[in-house]
Amino acid sequence: MIYLDHAAATPVSSKVFEAMKPYFSDEFFNPSAAYLPAKKVASEYEAAKGVIAHAIGAKASDLIMTAGATEANNLAFSAALFGDCLYLATEHDSVRKVADRHYSKEIIVDKNGRLVLDDLKAKMTDNVGLISIALVNNELGTIQPLSEVAAYIREVRADRLARGILQPLYLHSDASQALNLLNVNVARLGVDLLTLNAAKVYGPKGVGALYVSHNIKLLPIFVGGGQERGLRSGTENVPGVIGFAKAVEEAEKHKNGNRKKYAKWKKILLSQLQGYELINKKHSLDNFIVLCYIGIDAERLVFLLEDRGVCVSTGAACAANKGLRSHVLAAIGLSDSEINGSLRLTLGETNDESQIHEAARLINEVVAIERGRNA
Amino acid sequence: MPKKVFVGMSGGVDSSVSALLLKQQGYDVTGVYMKNWSKDLPGMKCPWAEDLADAKRVAVKLGIDFEVWDFEKEYFEKVVEYMLREFKAGNTPNPDIMCNQEIKFKLFYEKAMERGADFIATGHYARVKEGCSQSPQLLKAVDSKKDQTYFLYRISEEALLHTIFPVGGMLKPDVKKLAEENGLHNAYKKESMGVCFVGEVGMKDFLKEYIDISPGEIREVETERKVGHHEGAVFYTIGQRHGLYISGNAGEVNIGLPYYVVKKDLAKNIVYVSRNLNNKHVWTKQLELKDVVLRNKKIDNLTVRLRHLGELIPATLEGDVIYFEQSIKKPAAGQSAVFYDGEICLGGGIIA
Repeated sequence: MIYLDHAAATPVSSKVFEAMKPYFSDEFFNPSAAYLPAKKVASEYEAAKGVIAHAIGAKASDLIMTAGATEANNLAFSAALFGDCLYLATEHDSVRKVADRHYSKEIIVDKNGRLVLDDLKAKMTDNVGLISIALVNNELGTIQPLSEVAAYIREVRADRLARGILQPLYLHSDASQALNLLNVNVARLGVDLLTLNAAKVYGPKGVGALYVSHNIKLLPIFVGGGQERGLRSGTENVPGVIGFAKAVEEAEKHKNGNRKKYAKWKKILLSQLQGYELINKKHSLDNFIVLCYIGIDAERLVFLLEDRGVCVSTGAACAANKGLRSHVLAAIGLSDSEINGSLRLTLGETNDESQIHEAARLINEVVAIERGRNA
Repeated sequence: MPKKVFVGMSGGVDSSVSALLLKQQGYDVTGVYMKNWSKDLPGMKCPWAEDLADAKRVAVKLGIDFEVWDFEKEYFEKVVEYMLREFKAGNTPNPDIMCNQEIKFKLFYEKAMERGADFIATGHYARVKEGCSQSPQLLKAVDSKKDQTYFLYRISEEALLHTIFPVGGMLKPDVKKLAEENGLHNAYKKESMGVCFVGEVGMKDFLKEYIDISPGEIREVETERKVGHHEGAVFYTIGQRHGLYISGNAGEVNIGLPYYVVKKDLAKNIVYVSRNLNNKHVWTKQLELKDVVLRNKKIDNLTVRLRHLGELIPATLEGDVIYFEQSIKKPAAGQSAVFYDGEICLGGGIIA
C-alpha cells in the first residue's frame, strides 16, 4: 500500500508504541493516588508534558492535555466567553463550529490561502476577544504569518488600554499539522493559545494539548476531579501523553532531514505527474501537494487509486464523506469544477522514494482512464 | 447505439450487482444515487454519505457514469408527510410502497426519461413480463424468499414498461456470489431494510420528532376497564401485542393470554385491547380498500397478501371490497392488500 494521506492520520511509530506499552499494564496507576508507584507515574506524566511543552518553548504547567485537537480548540474559545471572535475562512470545522457559538466573522484569505491582514484589521472591533488562525492549514499546508498578526494584536491591545477598554484580546492557533516540519515557538509566534495534536505527528489518536499563556481564564468543558489545573477533569491519559511526548521528540530529531526529503519527493511528483495544475504553489509545507485535474471528478480517482493500493484524499476527508464541497478550496477562490477535480497528497514517514515514483505512475494511469472515459 | 439505462444505486449489494449485470449486457449505464433523506435523528447518524460513497465506489469500479439526484424535498412532501398524515389519522402506513410509487418509479423514472433513457433499473427482487398486445405484467421474483412485489404493486404501467429488474431472476446467494467474484466490496454489507432513515431508531422515535403525542389510557374493549397507559395512540397498530404497558391484576395474570390492540379511539385518545382472540374486532371475512390499482381485469380467484412475504390468501374482489373464504385476522388500516394470480402481481389497494 502507498499511503499518501498523512494529513488525515499518521501511524503510531514503533518507538512511540514501545514507549507507551508499559503504561497500559505495569505502570497503570492513577497519578492522583497516594502511594509511591502512582507518584512515579505522576512524575513521568509531568516529565512527558515537559517534553511536549519544551518543543514549543513553554513549560509543562502551560499545557492542558485533552482528548485531541477538537477538544483543545473548543476549550480555547472559552477564553473569550463574552467576546466576539474572528477566524480564518479556511479553519477546520472544530474551530468554525465553536466560533459560530459566538458572534463571529471570517477573515478572508488570498488565492494562496494566506490570511489578508487588511481584512482582519477591517473586522477588528472593541468587542473581539479571540482570533483563531491555524499555523498550518489542514487541506493546503499553507503556513500563516502569525507573528504579523501578533504584532497587530499588540497594537490593538495598547490602543484598548489607552482608551480604557477592558475587553482582553487573545490569539489562538491550531498547530495540529505543524510540529512535523516547523519550528514552533509560542513566544516567537506571539500566540496566547496553541492547539497540538498527537495523531498528526505519529503519536496516538485522541490525544492533544492546549497551550495556555499565563493569566488567561478558561472555562473547563469537563468538571470533576480537577486534573490539569481544574481545566480538564478526568484521570490523566498517561500512555497517550507518554506517546505524544515520544512522538514530539522524534519529530524534533527528524525535522530538518524530513524537510529536505519531502521537498525532493515533491519535486519528483510534480515533474512526473501529467496534466495537473498545482493549487498550493506558495507558502505551503512541502509534504502537502494539492493538485487539480480540471474536468475530472477527483473522487473517482480516489476509488480507482484505492483499487491500485494508493490512499489519497480529495480536499479534507470529512468534506468528501458528506458530499459537501471543501470550504477551504472555495475560500481560495476555486470554482466548483476545480474543487471537484482536486486531489490532496500528503507525504509522510510511511513513504520511500520508490513509492513516490510508483504513485506518480499510478496517478497518471487513473487520470488517463478517466480522461478516456469522458472522451 | 446501446440502450441507455439509469440504475438506482443505494450502495447495497443488489443494486450494485444490477449495475454490473447491465454493464455486462452491453447497456449504456449511468448509476444514480437518489438522495431522499440525509437528516440525522436523535441517537442515529443518517448513513446517507457512506451509502453514497459505497454506491459511487462500485460505479467507478465498473467504469460507469455516476450522478446524485436530490429528491429530498419531494421525498418529504410525498412520502414522509403522507406517512405522518396516516399515522395521525390512526392508520399504519407503508412508506416504502409510497416511495416506490412517488419517487423511484415516478420522479426518478421521469427524470431518466428526460435525460434520454430507454430504461430505468433498480435492485428490487421482481420481474417484468412484456406482453405483445397486453399491458406489462409485474411478476414475483424467482427467489420467493426475497420477492419485493408487495412494495411495487402501485408503480405505473408506463414505468413498468421501461423498468429492468436485473436481479429479479436470480437467487440472493447467487447475487452475493457474483458481487464477491467481481470484487464489489460491499458484498458483505448489511442490507438496508425498510425505510432506511427509520430503521435504526425505530418508527416510534421518528414519529416523536414530528407528531405531538399525549399519553392516555389502555382499556379492555369488552369491559371498558382501564388496564394500563400508553404513550400516544398513534404508536399502536391494530393486532400489536408487544410493547403494551399493561399492569395485570392479581388472579388475571394467570389466564396467560396476551392482550392485542383491537381498536383505537383517537378522539378520546384511548387504545382498546382484548384478550379474546374471538373478538369481533380481531377477525373479518372482508376488507374494504381504497386507492385500488389493477393492471388486469381478473378479479376472482385471486390470492391476496397482507404484508411483505405474507401468506397468500384466496379471495375475490368486488368493487373496492375483497372477500375471503375464511375469516382472517384483521390487518391495520393503511397497510396494503396486494393481489396475485399465480406469479403475476395484479395490483392491490390500501386497507381502509
